Amino acid sequence: MKRSVGRRLIGAAAVGLLLAAVVAWAATDTIVLGSAISQTGKYAREGKFYVDAYTMTVDAVNKQGGVKVGGKTYKLELKLYDDQSDPNLSVRLFTQLVTSDKVNFLLGPYTSGITIPASSVAEKYQIPMVQGGGASEKIFDRGYKYIFGTLPRAEFYFLSATQAAVNLKPPIKTAALLYSNEAFDRSVAEGSRQLLKEYRIEKVYDEQYQPATQDFTSILAVIKSKNPDLILVAGHAENSLNFIRQSQAADVNPKMWVFTVGPPTADFRQALGKAAEHAYGVTPWLPDMDIGGEVFASAREFSKQFKARFGYEADYHVASGAADVLVYKFAIEKANSLEPTKVRDAIASLDVETLYGRVKFEPNGQIALGQVLIQIQQGKLVPVYVAGKFAAKPIYPMPKWSQRK
Amino acid sequence: MLILQVLINGILLGGLYGIMALGMSLIWGVMNIVNLAHGALIMLGAYITFWAFTLLGWDPFLSLPVTVALLFVYGYLLQRFVLNLIVRAQLFITLLITFGIEVVMINLARILWSSDLRQVTPAYAGSNFSVGGLTVPYVRLWVFVTTIVLSVLFLLLMERTRLGRAIRATSQELRAARLTGIPVARIYAVTFGLGAALAGAAGTLWGMLFPITPTMGGALTLKSFVVAVLGGLGTMMGPIVGGLVLGLAESFSSTYVGPTYPNAISFGLLVLILIFRPTGVLGRREGG
Amino acid sequence: MSIKRWVPLLAGLLVLLVLGAAPTVVSPFMLQFLINLFMLAALAESWNIIGGFTGYASFGNVAFFGIGAYTTGVLLTRVGAPFALALPAGGLLAMVFAAVVGLPILRLKGHYFAIATLGVAETMREVVYNVEFTGAGTGLVMPIVRSPLPFFYLMLAILAAVTLLNWWLSESRFGYGLIAIREDEDAAAVMGINTPLYKTIAFAMSGLFAGLAGGVYAYWITFIDPDAVFKVIITVQMIIMAVFGGAGTVLGPLLGALVMASVSEWLSTHLVTLAELFNGLIVILVVIFMPKGLSDLIRHRTFSLRYFVKNLREHRI
Repeated sequence: MKRSVGRRLIGAAAVGLLLAAVVAWAATDTIVLGSAISQTGKYAREGKFYVDAYTMTVDAVNKQGGVKVGGKTYKLELKLYDDQSDPNLSVRLFTQLVTSDKVNFLLGPYTSGITIPASSVAEKYQIPMVQGGGASEKIFDRGYKYIFGTLPRAEFYFLSATQAAVNLKPPIKTAALLYSNEAFDRSVAEGSRQLLKEYRIEKVYDEQYQPATQDFTSILAVIKSKNPDLILVAGHAENSLNFIRQSQAADVNPKMWVFTVGPPTADFRQALGKAAEHAYGVTPWLPDMDIGGEVFASAREFSKQFKARFGYEADYHVASGAADVLVYKFAIEKANSLEPTKVRDAIASLDVETLYGRVKFEPNGQIALGQVLIQIQQGKLVPVYVAGKFAAKPIYPMPKWSQRK
Repeated sequence: MLILQVLINGILLGGLYGIMALGMSLIWGVMNIVNLAHGALIMLGAYITFWAFTLLGWDPFLSLPVTVALLFVYGYLLQRFVLNLIVRAQLFITLLITFGIEVVMINLARILWSSDLRQVTPAYAGSNFSVGGLTVPYVRLWVFVTTIVLSVLFLLLMERTRLGRAIRATSQELRAARLTGIPVARIYAVTFGLGAALAGAAGTLWGMLFPITPTMGGALTLKSFVVAVLGGLGTMMGPIVGGLVLGLAESFSSTYVGPTYPNAISFGLLVLILIFRPTGVLGRREGG
Repeated sequence: MSIKRWVPLLAGLLVLLVLGAAPTVVSPFMLQFLINLFMLAALAESWNIIGGFTGYASFGNVAFFGIGAYTTGVLLTRVGAPFALALPAGGLLAMVFAAVVGLPILRLKGHYFAIATLGVAETMREVVYNVEFTGAGTGLVMPIVRSPLPFFYLMLAILAAVTLLNWWLSESRFGYGLIAIREDEDAAAVMGINTPLYKTIAFAMSGLFAGLAGGVYAYWITFIDPDAVFKVIITVQMIIMAVFGGAGTVLGPLLGALVMASVSEWLSTHLVTLAELFNGLIVILVVIFMPKGLSDLIRHRTFSLRYFVKNLREHRI
């Protein structure tokens, strides 16, 4: 007898809870941000940065009162799929997000090769897509109106590095340029050639390699024979990692080397250990920068929360992803509407300070953001050249491998 | 000077390619299974080495026998309880099932170890010595030596032991082997176990030189194909020769043609070899 | 000729009409799914010509798909040719390529042939990577077409044509010739079949339709790069779908594509990150328990345990 009363009570409580949940769900309106990101396959590593960034920022926005439109408060909600690192599946999933799931707005996938086709879905259905995972100019030179990017322009990735290089003592005279045969890195190389010419650094080596290259020993043998002061390497983190490790084994000793991708990211430094020391990198963002805005008062605060929740240090991928979500909060409130076209116009004219820096888009949809030259010194990221000035003493020339401990 | 350095680089890399393909060649030669999961087995070996190194602090050369033993058991079970079920089916059935196994292994590895870049970095990882302007990395040299030692051991096993004779008998004539009382199902399982063990050894050695990720295997499976075919199937030492050929082809084409060409040249070479000399560099001249 | 022979054709026409009317009722997402499904089914049917009927396990048919995609893409964006010209050119070039490559490599048998075709596909990818005219590693960006309808009807037309071709093969002398080659090539040659010619024609037909599908794909997806259109997994998909449905039958590859594409689409939107894992498991289970495919299962009209156990017994050691 007693047991059955207990059961009924539990049953009633369950029904009550369910009702409460339904009521609560109906009472708060939501704005759904949809995206398909690589969570499996070859881009799973970088995809995770964006998934975590989106998740944390959405939660933070909701905790601080959500998004206010026309006197009503909306909660943000994420709808995420996994594109399995496949552009074909990505396009279908984005179509599903827009047409079946009826999400309000889109966040981007990772890597230029997937962002290019995925963003055409946004353009077709005239739903904005703000993305922080693709920087190739191919994304932005098609005249699309609904695609916005928060990574800096590929052509200028090595701007701060070349500027610093000619101001070092003794100044850099010769450079080798090595880049991956991929949309983004080819854009970087295109821009770097101009930069080297402009800053009168002699280019003694200029070659591309296949994205899947593991063994760099033959490439290194040639570079070593040219003995450049500076080596610029554009590629994925795995390429940079192989390059540094094999340089050590092959005893290649330039005065300075700079990588597009790798040094700012924690697992890269962990995997390389001491060999990562003295490597230069570029990043638009550092976890201890004194910048911030609404939602996240400072980059430092953001990084602390991020590390506590996900167990690894945020890098610029993460911050760029967080900025994408924030762009929607600010633009929607500015437009005071959920109408995609109105929000699109609000994004285009947005100018706000965030944890990622000042977010303001150029007419082609890409952010205008400078890059900081960083160096790994005693395992830490040290910004050495910021906005045209040396901010810290670079270790230059880098000590030869044989002189390192 | 550059040409000598390129030669050394090619040979040292070629040794590693050789051991990568040795296991694939064995499985292909004995059971007529083209194992698309071969790269995934190499990946598994690399991760075991990584765990032994980071969790237990074991040197990779020390954990090599453990990796080999674990992969042997894994390979044995896989053949005994899964692959033996379809071993006599049409060719593309075996291709598909090993592909399915590869997908499952990659995804389990991603769940177990995440997609972060992993690296095995013993203290001596970057050290090298120079002889007359040529630089030889120690690790690559030891990897090469280990490859040679393992290949010789493998050769002895195949040529001098009863087990080796049983495997070779099975590969030549299945029915006859069965009639003479050879437990064919078990021999098959042992063969796959050996192939997997060699892949595991290759994984340990690969992981000392290159980053470890769940998806690293696909490209290695393709490389192993090229090596196995270049060397010639059915010859015990074929893969080692094939490995050296590929290593040299890659390093010379990268230096003298351009760093984006090695793959184009090695796959082109694969097709040409198949068309003009299907039995490989070492194989006797017979029809494919 | 009896009327009975034309029944499948009429039934096919009816299905075609129904599918042709589909865009008026289905959702945009469904439309996108159908375009992809038609493409996969057309690829599976095109593989079926060489892999199913002729029994040559090509592991490199993605080469034709990629060549079709790139020819169409280059003509569209670099030369400024109209799509109506670029698409057939893609199909044709893929066909010619298949014939030229097929002549030497179709002499190889079994695994050697499989690996050689794989090598051809990989070589093609690497070649495209190294040619600046094709955009090299940067890839090619196509102009955007807002309506999915042209792609829907084009893919449907390609699928219908290649299915019709498969049907013709199952009924014609030429098709019997191919089957004879599959069953016993030496005997076929003795019977007076010009086996090299038959095989090359089959390979070229296979190439034509994979190339056409590639051409439509390039324009539809708006962006291609060497990795995306030459990847091994596309060949694997063709084979899995054909085998799952029943290799060497007319409707098998269609059925296989329908089931496999639906399952994997469902997995990728419901299980998300576990989708690939389950896809892998499904492949393993399918080849163990029903290596002859769905069409065999339907023909036997049994869904009993005995059927699966029988399959299991057949190929094990």
